Amino acid sequence: MSRAFAIAANTFRETIRDRILLVILVFALAMIVASLWLASISLGQEARLMQDFGLVAVSGFGVIVAVFVSAGLVRKEIDKRTVFIIFSKPVGRGEFIAGKFLGLSATMAIVVFGMTVFLFLLVWAVAGDPSGWLLVAGGFIYLQVLVVMAVTIFFSTFAAPILAAVLGLCVFAAGQLSHNVLSLTQLGSNVVLEGLSWVVFLVVPNFSAVSLAPVVVGEQVADWSAIGGWGGYLVAYAVIMLGLSWLVFRRKEF
Amino acid sequence: MEREPVAAVSIEGLRKTVTVGFRRRRVEILKGVDLTVGEGESVGLLGPNGAGKTTTLKIALGLMRPSAGTARLGVAGLHEVGYLPENAYFYDYLSGRELLGLCARLFGLSGGARDERIAEALREVGLQDAAGTQLRKYSKGMLQRIGIAQALINDPRLILLDEPMTGLDPIGRVEVKRIIQRLREEGRTVLFNSHILADVGELCSHVAIMRSGEVVWRGPVEDAVPSGGGSLEDFFVQVVTEGAVEPENAGSGSPGVTL
Amino acid sequence: MRVPGDGGKGGRGPSRAAGRRGALVRSVVAGLVMLGCLAAVVAFQVTRPAQSAADSAVFVPSPKFFKDLSPSFRTAVADAYWLAMIQYYGEHVEGDRQLDSLPAYVRLVTDLSPRFERAYLFGAFALLDAGKGQEAYELLVRGARRNPESWQIPATLGMLIYTYADNPAKDKLAAEWYEKAAAVPGSPDYIPRVAAELLTKGGEEAKSALMWGQVYATGDTYARDKALVELDELLPRDPQQRKEALQPLAALMTPQQFLTLSSILMGVLETP
Repeated sequence: MSRAFAIAANTFRETIRDRILLVILVFALAMIVASLWLASISLGQEARLMQDFGLVAVSGFGVIVAVFVSAGLVRKEIDKRTVFIIFSKPVGRGEFIAGKFLGLSATMAIVVFGMTVFLFLLVWAVAGDPSGWLLVAGGFIYLQVLVVMAVTIFFSTFAAPILAAVLGLCVFAAGQLSHNVLSLTQLGSNVVLEGLSWVVFLVVPNFSAVSLAPVVVGEQVADWSAIGGWGGYLVAYAVIMLGLSWLVFRRKEF
Repeated sequence: MEREPVAAVSIEGLRKTVTVGFRRRRVEILKGVDLTVGEGESVGLLGPNGAGKTTTLKIALGLMRPSAGTARLGVAGLHEVGYLPENAYFYDYLSGRELLGLCARLFGLSGGARDERIAEALREVGLQDAAGTQLRKYSKGMLQRIGIAQALINDPRLILLDEPMTGLDPIGRVEVKRIIQRLREEGRTVLFNSHILADVGELCSHVAIMRSGEVVWRGPVEDAVPSGGGSLEDFFVQVVTEGAVEPENAGSGSPGVTL
Repeated sequence: MRVPGDGGKGGRGPSRAAGRRGALVRSVVAGLVMLGCLAAVVAFQVTRPAQSAADSAVFVPSPKFFKDLSPSFRTAVADAYWLAMIQYYGEHVEGDRQLDSLPAYVRLVTDLSPRFERAYLFGAFALLDAGKGQEAYELLVRGARRNPESWQIPATLGMLIYTYADNPAKDKLAAEWYEKAAAVPGSPDYIPRVAAELLTKGGEEAKSALMWGQVYATGDTYARDKALVELDELLPRDPQQRKEALQPLAALMTPQQFLTLSSILMGVLETP
């Protein structure tokens, strides 16, 4: 496991030094401009709108950054020939995948939580009284980002980076529509379609099981068991995708 | 009863077939390579482009899988091997010391032992002053030297070097040759690919020549360059264009290289 | 053989100068092309006509579309249409007062975000301005059901009934809604007073003034503007009488709010 952590630390260092954290700065500037604009046109609803739109922005920025750092994961190492440096040493393919994922996870934690905390402080400064649930919502955006990363890493083990990135984004979008697929499984009129829908429903990650934005703006009361269950599901899904990545990657030759 | 000395590298009947192109055409890259390198030997692996030299090393290191045959490295496998790939390229934003730290951790080194090995490796290649600089600012020669340093980080008994002189200026070549000579003197086993036959003649005790996926000649350097005249280049061209040539004094009984 | 005037370089001088001239001409032409393009881009943008007033009938999707599409971003979609609704209302209420799409906007925002209290309150007044009093009433009834912890919605509903309903029992109906508002924990102290006032006979103008005072105290910009207009019409024109009529409203709002309200309503009398 220490080898996986060594690779994780290296990956973290590489991505941080690649100035990926600038995305937080871009987010921060965008949110400041947006908040000034909202304050003039929202009829006193700045806190609500900033939290709602801010969470959409955190999710959007987070997923896009995650997809693009994950998509080139394997290809970059092969193109740069650093893969020879790693695998000429007693490092298992699974340790490599785990280490890369852990390193990227650490980077994305800084990105997502950096944006979330900034949003919290901005709402507090501009509109006062931000919801503590904003930070919890940021945590679940982070879990979704981890799943998207794991899925994109899986695609990157056999596809070109741009294709892996596009597929990763498609899976994120499909995950938002998971509840629609579930309704197709209960049509009661077409067994084949229902069966296919079940397969799709199980395979595509469910990003719509719980929505925390209504809790943040006070629309709903939190259901802790639903939230906890969803968090466990997302972690388990990511682990499965990493396992599949290992299965593909262990057969790869360089 | 005397134990049979363990070869540093033992390759038997190695074959590798790959599929290329849209129609998945099968191409046999290695057609049955046999190569044994004993402890303490320094062997130059020669051959024209596409002969299969790099593929042989990659299979020995586990970077590729053989279609048939076996390739074994010493007793402890990769733990006792150092490898410098061809046209080595590293992580842009790491410093030399950070790269060696990563490599040391991948061998399971930690704490004081790791720091000692890093310092020793930097000293071996003369990069102590540049250790804190990011690798993207290193010259080609410095990159080759840090590549050798990471190949030495685990104090290996066997070192595999793939085209270690590629792209180096004359000063860089002299520095790398000096390092390889020192490795020989320390009793390490060295196996390196090279197109620069003069270097092979200077640094190696034995030579193996590959052509079209097979070893077509193997033996001591002296057999390839008789003292009476001729050069290694002439011998190489002769072997590669005309086929296998029997060594004049094969079977010396040396426990090292069968070749 | 040396040619005079060639700088000793055997004929290369004139061709090198020609080469330099050619490079200069190419640079100048490239620069002029870039400037021309820049001028064209700027000219195109600054001559765009100002945006014409939005159509009174705009496409507003059904709430069902968004409920099927994106539950994770439902409240964000509601917020986006909230902004669009405010813009739509602002453009038309000052202009042609054609607010055909307003009911669809209000329905979409409140169905996607059922506990968006401000949307019900703003929507009700906006619908009144659009001449859709019945829809305003039904909106607030829905809002009161979905937001049982809100006192503002039933209080506004009471005010609406008293001010606009064409019903002989409107006092009693309005008082019932005020009593529901009074029963909500955290409701202001004056709510029960308003309920009681409604049930006393006579003093219609005073009761109405009380309603509009409540709207002024708790409403948004648009609601406050409307309250000022209505109060100006209701209250006596005589300064002393107006001052006395304003006094009961002080209990409904903060001192600062009352000061602002009084200065505006008293100041109107001084304006010729």
